[in-house]
Amino acid sequence: MPILSLTTFLPLLGGILILFIPKERKDAIRWVGVGSTVAAFLASVYALTLFDPGLASPAPLTLQMVEKLSWIPSFGIHYFMGVDGLSLPIVLLTTLLSMAAAIYSMNIEERVKEYYFWFLLLEVGMTGVFCALDMFLFYVFWEITLVPMYFLIGIWGGPKKEYAAIKFFLFTLFGSVFMLLGMLALYFASNPHTFDMVELARSHAVFGREFQIIVFLAFYLGFAVKVPAFPFHTWLPLAHVEAPTGVSVLLAGVLLKMGVYGLLRVCYVILPAGFEWFLPFLVIIAFINIVYGALCAMAQTDMKKMVAYSSINHMGYALLGMAAISPTGFNGAAMQMITHGLITGALFILVGVIYDRAHTRDISAFGGLGAKVPVYAGIMSLTCFASLGLPGLAGFVSEFLCFLGAFPAWKLYTALSVSGILITAAFFLRMLQKVFMGPLNEKWAGLGDMNARELVSVLPLTVLTIFLGLWPRLILDIMNPTLTAMTKLFPSLFQSVR
Amino acid sequence: MENLRLLIPEIVLSAMALLLMLAELFIPRRHSRILLHLALLASAAALGTLGLAASNPAVYQGAGSLWVVDPMSLFFKVIVLAATILVLMLAVDARRDDDAHLGSFAGLILLASAGMMLLVSAVDLLMVFLSLELISISSFILVGFERGDIKSAEGALKYYLIGAFSSALMVFGISLFYGATGTTHLLKPVPQFGYASSALFLLSTLMMLAGFGFKISMAPFHLWVPDAYEAAPTPITTFLSIAPKAAGLAMMLRVFTKLIPHPALEMTALFSFLAMLTMTVGNLTAIRQNNIKRLLAYSSIAQAGYMLIGFVTADAFGREGVLLYALAYLFMNAGAFAVAIAIGNEEGYELEAYDGLAQRSLGLAVVMAFFLLSLAGIPPLAGFVGKFYLFGAAVQSGFYGLAVVAVLNSVVSVYYYMRVTYHMFFLPPRATAPAQMGLYLYSGLALAAVAVILIGVYPEPFLSVVKSSAEMIP
Repeated sequence: MPILSLTTFLPLLGGILILFIPKERKDAIRWVGVGSTVAAFLASVYALTLFDPGLASPAPLTLQMVEKLSWIPSFGIHYFMGVDGLSLPIVLLTTLLSMAAAIYSMNIEERVKEYYFWFLLLEVGMTGVFCALDMFLFYVFWEITLVPMYFLIGIWGGPKKEYAAIKFFLFTLFGSVFMLLGMLALYFASNPHTFDMVELARSHAVFGREFQIIVFLAFYLGFAVKVPAFPFHTWLPLAHVEAPTGVSVLLAGVLLKMGVYGLLRVCYVILPAGFEWFLPFLVIIAFINIVYGALCAMAQTDMKKMVAYSSINHMGYALLGMAAISPTGFNGAAMQMITHGLITGALFILVGVIYDRAHTRDISAFGGLGAKVPVYAGIMSLTCFASLGLPGLAGFVSEFLCFLGAFPAWKLYTALSVSGILITAAFFLRMLQKVFMGPLNEKWAGLGDMNARELVSVLPLTVLTIFLGLWPRLILDIMNPTLTAMTKLFPSLFQSVR
Repeated sequence: MENLRLLIPEIVLSAMALLLMLAELFIPRRHSRILLHLALLASAAALGTLGLAASNPAVYQGAGSLWVVDPMSLFFKVIVLAATILVLMLAVDARRDDDAHLGSFAGLILLASAGMMLLVSAVDLLMVFLSLELISISSFILVGFERGDIKSAEGALKYYLIGAFSSALMVFGISLFYGATGTTHLLKPVPQFGYASSALFLLSTLMMLAGFGFKISMAPFHLWVPDAYEAAPTPITTFLSIAPKAAGLAMMLRVFTKLIPHPALEMTALFSFLAMLTMTVGNLTAIRQNNIKRLLAYSSIAQAGYMLIGFVTADAFGREGVLLYALAYLFMNAGAFAVAIAIGNEEGYELEAYDGLAQRSLGLAVVMAFFLLSLAGIPPLAGFVGKFYLFGAAVQSGFYGLAVVAVLNSVVSVYYYMRVTYHMFFLPPRATAPAQMGLYLYSGLALAAVAVILIGVYPEPFLSVVKSSAEMIP
């Protein structure tokens, strides 16, 4: 059974089905929308049961559940899908977060039909990016995510939605067109010409160092905008804040991971010499992301904006772990993607919950809510603690691995970056204090606690956050063999960090 | 006379054109739409004869005295006829002041098409000139066809003056060419390299390039485009933005990459500069347009700029790119104009007319978004495949600067294409009634939409057609 295609295209099926439902029947549309994301999630869980983590070998890219069909023979382009220990967890994260966001979005009343159509199309693109192993296919999925996202932000977003939508579109496209040129350069440099990532990874040795550096930079532009790595991050706060809650969850939880994933999957494996050349800069960028992102978050009074900036900080950890080129660092980076997706996804939902009730996200507008809405306060506090890296919760494990991996190679920058954790703790604790403690602000005396829809969408994320914190092997066992094999790919390169 | 069979499609078309003009006199005005249907039939018949030529190359392909029929010319003849058919379909349902002179209208469209079909086959500069004049004179009249509209007359006059000027330039170039080489026939072995340094020869090439540049709206010879496009009846705008451009590009491909190859004249840098200039000027000017016809006019200039990439590389790969892009461009541009006609019939051509279209007719808005995204080059739509091919040609031949300028231009273009979707999806509607469409308009739109998606998702059959069509005689 083509399980990966099923996971990817089940939402498309749902989306097409929705087009045939009259737009007045909002509940039917919602249930079909949620049902499709559930079906995709179940399919991805089934893929997990088929996956054998032990199969990883030192050869570049040992893939499982491979589907390969000839698509455009003139260019040797294949419909080529497959997963390994790096991509499968992110596919699961994508389907899980899509499900959570689809359930949360059931409160959308305006233009429900269009909403779920674009939403499901977005899920197709996101899942596809992590399964595609042909550059052309990868690029197609990559760009497919842009259009639905543009509409989702632009129609259902906040006050500055139109500007946020076009800025997101133009920024990401600006990055990805350079990626397209990089792809073409790789294609014409490989012999025989190919877009197949596995073939390209095998033939990395024929690409000269200069060539690799230039092509690396082209790809880096595409990925850095998505990560977002400083100085390409300016679209992020705007897009995240203006997007509706369900879409913010996917933006932060999944779309940012496309950048980190691309750096590992394409830049590192296919262009190792370029990657090696860029490492010193990557570490500096990681450091800036961590500290600058955290400081920006601290300066915010809007909760959603604060969470958005904290994403820049958290992606910095992943970049730092990646720069270590060691099993520990890679595991940290890959796990950081998952934990950040779970935690920040939950945070955006929680911020959405309070905004739906209070119609404000201003931190100082609240006070004393802890006793008023205990369930909400509990889940919010737990998620914030996870995000600031409290031991016992998932965020700690991945951040710790990133630092542990990076320290032997980049002592100075790692040491400086640890300050990011401190700042993160400061702004999260300050928010918890201002919102939940102190005397109750009488204005919110009528505030209700979380309802079933909100709980159903956020609880799976919370449970996984606790679970992965206590038993990180649940996910590390899947990723570790692949990532360890990846670090051994280029024994003669990366001497400076070994 | 023996190779007259090479001209059967053109003969069919011209004969029908003349018949239509005559038939107009005998058909009562209330039934005059029948003339458009007859023109559709004639185009379909000509398309059929092209099929004959494609299936029997030994008899129906080869070199005549002033023209050749080879796979490439056949490909562009099909594009021209497909554009003609689409445009006639749109014309049936487009709003007009009255139905008078529909016979001349349809006849002139057919005559222009016949001119284009001759142009893509021409291998003699005299033939090139004559067919360009046939196209131009028919187009001048068509642009001014809305006789009640003063703007239409103004646009037609501008178009005519500039067109006449460019023709004069071209004729002057051709006469210099004759002076330098002693012939206007391009298949005669011209000792190009000997003339490459001759000032006369270079001057003649440059003047011809300028003359051709006017016809395909290459910057800096594009200034007539927005006025003429805005003034013309919208089906004619559609026609002008696709068919003469494709035909002109085909003729230039033959002349400047094969018969007088520009690398031999060391003019590659000039072509590269013109390509960059055309796409940049088109895209940057389009940003400020608030009228859909002007916006698409500037966009069509930019699109010509992308196609010029295929000239710069001047190899088979680039040529195939031009062919593929022309095919994609045919459907996406015709589709976008079809929507413009559907909306324009009731509400005019300002962008405000598109406010809230998604809430009035969601299907129409989504299809328009698809056409615009395809023009912008977003996968998996036809325009992306075309751009992929052209940019690939640039990268393969080492024109990295050109490739970078081209991709940056695609990013800029998204901004103004998305301005239309902004009106369609993000703004509240001004009216609640769904947009009305006639059957022909609807079918044309559906055809274009299916083609845009099909070429984007499964391009292989189109790629193989393009590959086998990139051959030229000799």
